[in-house]
Amino acid sequence: MSEKHSKASGLQPGLKDEVVLDGQELKNLVEGGLIWLRTNQQTVNSLNVFPVPDGDTGTNMVLTMQAAINEIFKTPERNVGKVARDIAQGALMGARGNSGVILSQLWRGFARALDNFKVMDAQLFVRALAEARDTAYKGVVRPVEGTILTVAKDLTIEAEKAFSEENDLEVIFERVVRAAGESVERTPELLPILKQAGVVDSGGKGLFYMLEGMLRTLNNLPLEVQETFIQPIAQMIDFDEHLDIEPDQDYEVVIDFQPKKPLEVEKFYDSLSHIGTSIQLGEGDDYYRLHIHVPEEKRYSPIDFVMDMARVTKVHIENIKDQMLRKENSDPPGTELAKPEPGQIAVIAVSPGEGISKIFASLGVAAIVEGGQTMNPSIKELLESFENLPTDNIIILPNNKNIILAAQGASQASTKRVAVIPSKSIPQGLNALLQLDPDGNFDEIIKKMNSALLDSDTGEITIATRDVEIDGVKVKQGSVIGLLNGRLVASQKTLEKTCLALLKKIKMDEKERITLFYGNQISEDEVNNIVEKITKAYPAHEIEIHAGGQPHYQFIISIE
Amino acid sequence: MEQVENPLGNIYISYRAIASIAHKAALETYGVVGLTAKNLAEGLAQAIVKDPTLGVDVEYEEKSVVINLFIIVEYGTRIKSVANSVANNIRFKVEKAIDIPANNILVNVHVRGLRISDTD
Repeated sequence: MSEKHSKASGLQPGLKDEVVLDGQELKNLVEGGLIWLRTNQQTVNSLNVFPVPDGDTGTNMVLTMQAAINEIFKTPERNVGKVARDIAQGALMGARGNSGVILSQLWRGFARALDNFKVMDAQLFVRALAEARDTAYKGVVRPVEGTILTVAKDLTIEAEKAFSEENDLEVIFERVVRAAGESVERTPELLPILKQAGVVDSGGKGLFYMLEGMLRTLNNLPLEVQETFIQPIAQMIDFDEHLDIEPDQDYEVVIDFQPKKPLEVEKFYDSLSHIGTSIQLGEGDDYYRLHIHVPEEKRYSPIDFVMDMARVTKVHIENIKDQMLRKENSDPPGTELAKPEPGQIAVIAVSPGEGISKIFASLGVAAIVEGGQTMNPSIKELLESFENLPTDNIIILPNNKNIILAAQGASQASTKRVAVIPSKSIPQGLNALLQLDPDGNFDEIIKKMNSALLDSDTGEITIATRDVEIDGVKVKQGSVIGLLNGRLVASQKTLEKTCLALLKKIKMDEKERITLFYGNQISEDEVNNIVEKITKAYPAHEIEIHAGGQPHYQFIISIE
Repeated sequence: MEQVENPLGNIYISYRAIASIAHKAALETYGVVGLTAKNLAEGLAQAIVKDPTLGVDVEYEEKSVVINLFIIVEYGTRIKSVANSVANNIRFKVEKAIDIPANNILVNVHVRGLRISDTD
C-alpha cells in the first residue's frame, strides 16, 4: 500500500468519502438539471407516438422545472430541506401537462423526505427517491407501466441496491442515472403503443435528462452543448430562422470538408466550442458539413481549424447581424385580401406560411387563417375569420385533412351559408380557388370547386422525425420522405432524390405542369439545384416555383 | 346511439360502451384518483350494483360526442393540468377505439373533490 493512501485514510477515517449536499448545492444541481433538460428539449419533444412533429412533453417538463427554479433562483438558503420544499412548491404551481404533474409529485415526495434536514447524505438521498416514487404512484389509480412512473420506480430500486453496497452519494447518483437510462430504453417493451411508434417514453426520457443534468453538474461537465452527434445534412437546423441572435454570433460560417483521417467527433466539438456557438455537424454522402456562429474577429478561425485536419471543399460566410438588420428594415409587403361586397362569395383559406398566404390573397381570398399540419386552427378562429365579413356566402378551404372537421364545425356553428370544400392540401386548395367567381352562383361554384380537387396530385416533401415503416416503405429518422396525396411513397437521403422518386410515381405524360412551393427551412441555392434536376428530368413540363414559407415541409408540389 | 356506416350493415355503439372506455382512460390518467356519482340517485344505485361507467355521462349532440366526467383528484397536484390531461387522454382513447375524430369529442371535467393522502 502506498504511503499516500494510508496517510489520507489515517487522517479522516470513515469520513473521507462522505459527500453531503446543502441547500445551495442542491439548487446548483437542479439548475443544471433544468439546463440539460432544455438542451435536450427537442429530443424529448420528438419522442411522440404520432408521426408528425407535434409533441411537447419536453417543453412541458422544461416549463415545470423553470417554475421550480424561479422559486429558488435568488435564495441564499443553505438548509436542504427548505430549498427542496420551495422547488416542490414551484414545480406544483407551474406543472404543465401530464409529465409536468408527475414531475411535480416526484419533487413533492422528494422534498417531504428532506424536511427538517440541513444537508443531504447518501442515505437521505436514497430515502428521498423512495418517497418521491411512493408519492408519485399515489396520484393514479391504475398506473400504466412503461412511463415516467416506471422509470422513477426502477431508479429507486437501483438506488436502494447501490446504497446497500456503498455509501458514496456520487457513486449512487451515477448508478441511479444509469438505471434511469436503461429503464427508459425498456419502456417500449412495457407499453405497446411506444413499440408501434418505435420510440421510448418521452416523460421517462425527460426525467432521465433532468437527473443526468444534475449528475453532469456534480461532475462539472458542460450543459449548454448538446451531446456530440452527427446528423444528416438535410436535417441541420438553419439558425437564420431564429431572429434573435446572441451577442458574439455575428457571423455564420458553413464549411464542407473531407477529413484526412476518421473524425474524432468529441474532440472536434470541444475545440470548436472555444471558437463559437450553435455548432452543428452534418454528414453527407462523402463529406461533412460544419455550421458555426462566431464573433466577427474570429470569422476565419473555424476555416483554419478545419484546414489543419481536412480537405476543405466549400466555405460559406455570412454576416447574419447585417442580414437581421436588413430583414427588419424591409417589411414584407402586406397581404392584400379581397374585400367582398354583400351577396358576393367570400373564400376563407387556411395557410401554413406567409408565401402561400400571399398566393391565396392574389387569387382573391377574403380571409386567411394560419394553420397547418401541427397547428390546427380552432373552430372559433375559423368562425371569427368570416363572421364579420359583409356577405353571407362563405366557402372554406381547409387545405389539410386535419382541419376539414374544424371547418365543418365552423360551418355548423355559423348562421351564414357556409360550404366546406374538403381540400386536403395546398395544391388542391389553389386548384379549387381558381374556380372562384365572386358574383357566380353559390351552388355551381361549389360543384366546380369540388371537382377541381380531383384534377391535381399533391406531393409533400419533409424530414422523417423517427424510424418507421409504412406501406412497405422503410424510413430512417432524418431521411427525406415524399408523400403523394397523403401516402408515403418515397424515402431517400437527399431532397433531390426524394423529389425525383416522388415524381416517378406519377403518370407524368398525363400531366402538364409542376408547381413547387418551397418551405422556410430551405435555401434558394438548394431550391435552384433541385429545380434544375427536375427540369432536366421532365423537359416537356412547365415548372413553376413559389416561396411558400411553410414550416416542416421543404416542398409542397402540385402536379396537374 | 352512435351509428357508423359499414358496407355490410350498420354498427351501433352505445353510450355505455363509450362511457366504459372513458372510465378506464380516466382512471389511467395521472392525478385522477377516483370517479364519483353525478347525483344521489346514481350514488345509491352504485351502492347496489358496481357500474363500470360510474362518474361518466355520455350524450350525442349532432355529430359530436359529449362526455361529462365527475372526478376526484389527488391533493397536491395542479388541478388544471390534471383536468387537461384527463380530457386529452379520453379524447385520444375514444378516438382510437371508435374512430370518431378527436375534434368531435368534447369532454367536460367536473372536479368533485380532492383526496388527501399526504399533508405536507
